[in-house]
Amino acid sequence: MAPPAASQRYPSPSQPSGKSEVSDLKTQLRQLAGSRAPGVDDSKRDLYKKVISYMTIGIDVSSVFGEMVMCSATSDIVLKKMCYLYVGNYAKGNPDLSLLTINFLQRDCKDEDPMIRGLALRSLCSLRVPNLVEYLVGPLGSGLKDNNSYVRTIAVTGVLKLYHISPSTCIDADFPPTLKSLMLHDSDAQVVANCLSALQEIWSLEASHSEEACREKESLLSKPVIYYFLNRIKDFNEWAQCLILELAVKYVPSDSNDIFDIMNLLEDRLQHANGAVVLATVKVFLQLTLSMTDVHQQVYERIKSPLLTLVSSGSPEQSYAILSHLHLLVVRAPFIFAADYKHFYCQYNEPSYVKKLKLEMLTAVANESNTYEIVTELCEYAANVDIAIARESIRAVGKIALQQYDVNAIVDRLLQFLEMEKDYVTAETLVLVKDLLRKYPQWSHDCISVVGGISSKNIQEPKGKAALIWMLGEYAQDMSDAPYILENLIENWEEEHSAEVRLHLLTAAMKCFFKRAPETQKALGIALAAGVADFHQDVHDRALFYYRVLQYDVHVAERVVSPPKQAVSVFADTQSSEIKDRIFDEFNSLSVIYQKPSYMFTDKEHRGPFEFSDELGNISITPEASSDIVPAQQYEANDKDLLLGIDEKDDNKGLSSNNGSAYSAPSLENSSNITSQLQELAISGPATSATTPQSSFGFDDLLGLGLSTAPAPTPSPPLLKLNPRAALDPGAFQQKWRQLPLSLTQECSVNPQGIAALTVPQSLIRHMQSHSIHCIASGGQSPNFKFFFFAQKESEPSNYLAECIINTSSAKAQIKVKADEQSTSQAFTTVFETALSKFGMP
Amino acid sequence: MPVAASAIYFLNLRGDVLINRTYRDDVGGNMVDAFRTHIMQTKELGNCPVRQIGGCSFVYMRISNVYIVIVVSSNANVACGFKFVVEAVALFKSYFGGAFDEDAIRNNFVLIYELLDEIMDFGYPQNLSPEILKLYITQEGVRSPFSSKPKDKPVPNATLQVTGAVGWRREGLAYKKNEVFLDIVESVNLLMSSKGNVLRCDVTGKVLMKCFLSGMPDLKLGLNDKIGLEKESEMKSRPAKSGKTIELDDVTFHQCVNLTRFNSEKTVSFVPPDGEFELMKYRITEGVNLPFRVLPTIKELGRTRMEVNVKVKSVFGAKMFALGVVVKIPVPKQTAKTNFQVTTGRAKYNPSIDCLVWK
Repeated sequence: MAPPAASQRYPSPSQPSGKSEVSDLKTQLRQLAGSRAPGVDDSKRDLYKKVISYMTIGIDVSSVFGEMVMCSATSDIVLKKMCYLYVGNYAKGNPDLSLLTINFLQRDCKDEDPMIRGLALRSLCSLRVPNLVEYLVGPLGSGLKDNNSYVRTIAVTGVLKLYHISPSTCIDADFPPTLKSLMLHDSDAQVVANCLSALQEIWSLEASHSEEACREKESLLSKPVIYYFLNRIKDFNEWAQCLILELAVKYVPSDSNDIFDIMNLLEDRLQHANGAVVLATVKVFLQLTLSMTDVHQQVYERIKSPLLTLVSSGSPEQSYAILSHLHLLVVRAPFIFAADYKHFYCQYNEPSYVKKLKLEMLTAVANESNTYEIVTELCEYAANVDIAIARESIRAVGKIALQQYDVNAIVDRLLQFLEMEKDYVTAETLVLVKDLLRKYPQWSHDCISVVGGISSKNIQEPKGKAALIWMLGEYAQDMSDAPYILENLIENWEEEHSAEVRLHLLTAAMKCFFKRAPETQKALGIALAAGVADFHQDVHDRALFYYRVLQYDVHVAERVVSPPKQAVSVFADTQSSEIKDRIFDEFNSLSVIYQKPSYMFTDKEHRGPFEFSDELGNISITPEASSDIVPAQQYEANDKDLLLGIDEKDDNKGLSSNNGSAYSAPSLENSSNITSQLQELAISGPATSATTPQSSFGFDDLLGLGLSTAPAPTPSPPLLKLNPRAALDPGAFQQKWRQLPLSLTQECSVNPQGIAALTVPQSLIRHMQSHSIHCIASGGQSPNFKFFFFAQKESEPSNYLAECIINTSSAKAQIKVKADEQSTSQAFTTVFETALSKFGMP
Repeated sequence: MPVAASAIYFLNLRGDVLINRTYRDDVGGNMVDAFRTHIMQTKELGNCPVRQIGGCSFVYMRISNVYIVIVVSSNANVACGFKFVVEAVALFKSYFGGAFDEDAIRNNFVLIYELLDEIMDFGYPQNLSPEILKLYITQEGVRSPFSSKPKDKPVPNATLQVTGAVGWRREGLAYKKNEVFLDIVESVNLLMSSKGNVLRCDVTGKVLMKCFLSGMPDLKLGLNDKIGLEKESEMKSRPAKSGKTIELDDVTFHQCVNLTRFNSEKTVSFVPPDGEFELMKYRITEGVNLPFRVLPTIKELGRTRMEVNVKVKSVFGAKMFALGVVVKIPVPKQTAKTNFQVTTGRAKYNPSIDCLVWK
């Protein structure tokens, strides 16, 4: 893989201006190819170096491929290495030329120098050209039997590479069993380790369709194999040790003796200098003892100090990795780490990601005995120059306050924050005070007196402002000037940009009104008027609702808006325990860092192409949360499909809006969309009649393919065959879409190539047509595209209708399917998704 | 697949690729562009050393003026990834003679390619020990131990050692003078509250060795009885602390140390690698005597000026003395002008590290 062209920018002494240098090299190489003069190797070496340096800075030197191969007939190992490197880089792009290299690579595989044998074999396997695999089997077979361990290690990995190019060739050549016997009998540790990694990978990929592979995969976890590895673990290098420990995690011990045997064997690994080995050992210990509560606790005690040591040594990145794991453990067993809270104090020179994690740990370990010290320390951080950390530490104080029973001291501290008179500190603190009051209403007196002294003008952040307004409404009777502050805020309604604040203003005005009607009436009136005129949908709706409920009965309104409240005892846990357990099972992997189980970031369904993982410390996305996004997207899409166009007639706007609204109307179950739907209909109504004639013209074009439906043999049930020449006129489509019940709603992700190709709707339409799914209407603008598709069964005139909304920014497609035959709608959806998933692929 | 890395990239601070190696086909070449646009060109850079973009996770580290990025597509082992980068950098440094930066990479790209091929195959880390790799990959160019003068003298079989049990030492070393150097480097970490209370204090120590020994020596390092390494549980059950022992909280050893022997006999026995290495690391939290006492007072004189007064007092005995004492006072980045009054030594403002440095 050549580095991208962008890297050509930097000045380099050997920076060539372009092609002339490459062709220059070409002639020079050609001259040297046949030469047998002494010293020719040195000049070749210089030339090769030049070629490689061009390659590194991203200049395409693949044109000298032939010459490079010609010059490779040499005994000089330096030249050979550079040549292998070159070949490995360009073979994939030039499959034909790489056939030239096979010859000399195969010859080198029989060289008497094991070094050359190994290197040649590695290069041979790294060519990654599928039609050359037949040449690999022979050299690999002899490589595995080579009497030099260096060659064997390379051959073993070579088998794995072969498997990735062509699984069948690898299996047919019977390589896995050979690897297995090598793994169990070879004297060399690295060979054994590579065998293990290769076999693990091959068998887990094979396991899905081969029972034998499944059995073999299980056999890796059998007692003799595991003990064979564990007893020899000292012979392996640190990386291989990680591999073995990872294997041991999956082993299911037969009884408690077994467990203790393994733990005794591995205990000294905890003192290894390599953090990865220590973490892997920790994982083995934790998983083995899951069922034994007492021992599990002891394990925590035992692993504590090695982990703390690792945190304090090594680079910040390394300690970050370890800290993330420690964080997981701390959350699981806070009491064990409670005494070590001082280890989680931040140092001034630590990077912010480490500090952030440490703050979370401090919150997690806080209990009755150490709260005072921890909160004192956290209060120091609130004055930190790093604003993000300062905010984080204020939040941490708040979290501790919500956990503890004795909040007296903490409330005082929080109130002191308010006196610091820094915008962000005040804002964060207000949010916390609000939450605190929801849990401990008894503190209202102390808090309110301080909060009342804060001028709302000093708070710019919406969250803080909203919290202050909430308190003004909630405790209007205790704050003498609450109605007047609210009135001031309401007068500046127009300048308030955040909808959240405006919503809170409405509610606070209502609450205040119930408590101190005469003083608030005027303000409430202004607020309601401004709210009804507000352009934001929610604000508008809420104002209207308040207005009407007040009109209906003031007492009912009071019961609705301001009922007597119970203190919140527990705030919702942000992560379900099931997910936490999943993460724990995936200890020592990325899951712990991202704080979400692996399926959420490795499975395609759960991520967009460029979705960033949540910032650590924030609530991570649970599956429920991600499914919540669906209605919102739908909403947006509907707002935008006013631009729908029929098939390829984008200019046909009047008609398209007609189709768009008519088609989408029945698809909306969500009542919250009614308003927008209504508006949409109103807009599109008049245009309908005017454009009807045009529409038939448009469809004549589309349906020019012919209308005959050729009879075909009945397809087998799971494979749905679609009629490539299906036809349906828009009127019928419209009618059917209205009549048919929704049979399926599906959400799937679109591959990034697809998104890239979807610059205009037409590209997808053509693609789907090649899969016998036809488009009847399409439209939208980036990021939302909307399509209506239909398809017909090949054998009978049974129709499938589908609406597909693609959001290019989240790379998600939402599909709604309606079918004449409900029973086959699932099959159609599968066909549809498969077709969609191939979109953008070459 | 716990550790398989798909690719490794070396980028300079501008995001140009200095050198890269793709080990697996499961990531595209545009991944490094994604890294550039989504991490390097945003504020994310300092935020978190592990980021996910698309289906790939980027595990990255900055070393001097180079970013080293490992791209993985599966749920990889992060600790292993970072450790690999650290070890690889140590390896490169030992080849380049100490410095690892953009220029060093530019000047040695062929060598780095060779090394990258040796230390990782198809995403799995192989042998990273400089001792062994230096046998068959040298800076002057590669010399195969097999082809070079095979008739003159029996050459140790390097490839056997590439993979052999004592992976960190080659056979057949011979020195005229056998020497061993041993250094103990301790760093005291102290965290003090603004009122001067000690919040946290611990010592992390390293035992560094430099060996020039012939053959395959088995070394033993005895630790005296004062050093106790007791498990936490036992420590708690003991009623009172005996004053003179030093309690090590935790010890870690270089991979050459026989860990079982240490646990049973309390001696550190090992076959040392040739040259310099870190034999062991330990951590102490109990009974740390501080060598100095630092008394800082900070006064804010208005909005743009502050006065820092630092008093340093030695607490150790009068017979001992300290050399090379440096005091660094971190100051805000925007610091424009500094004035000093020192009773002894010399102080200056070093803007590159945002510190006042007194020597």
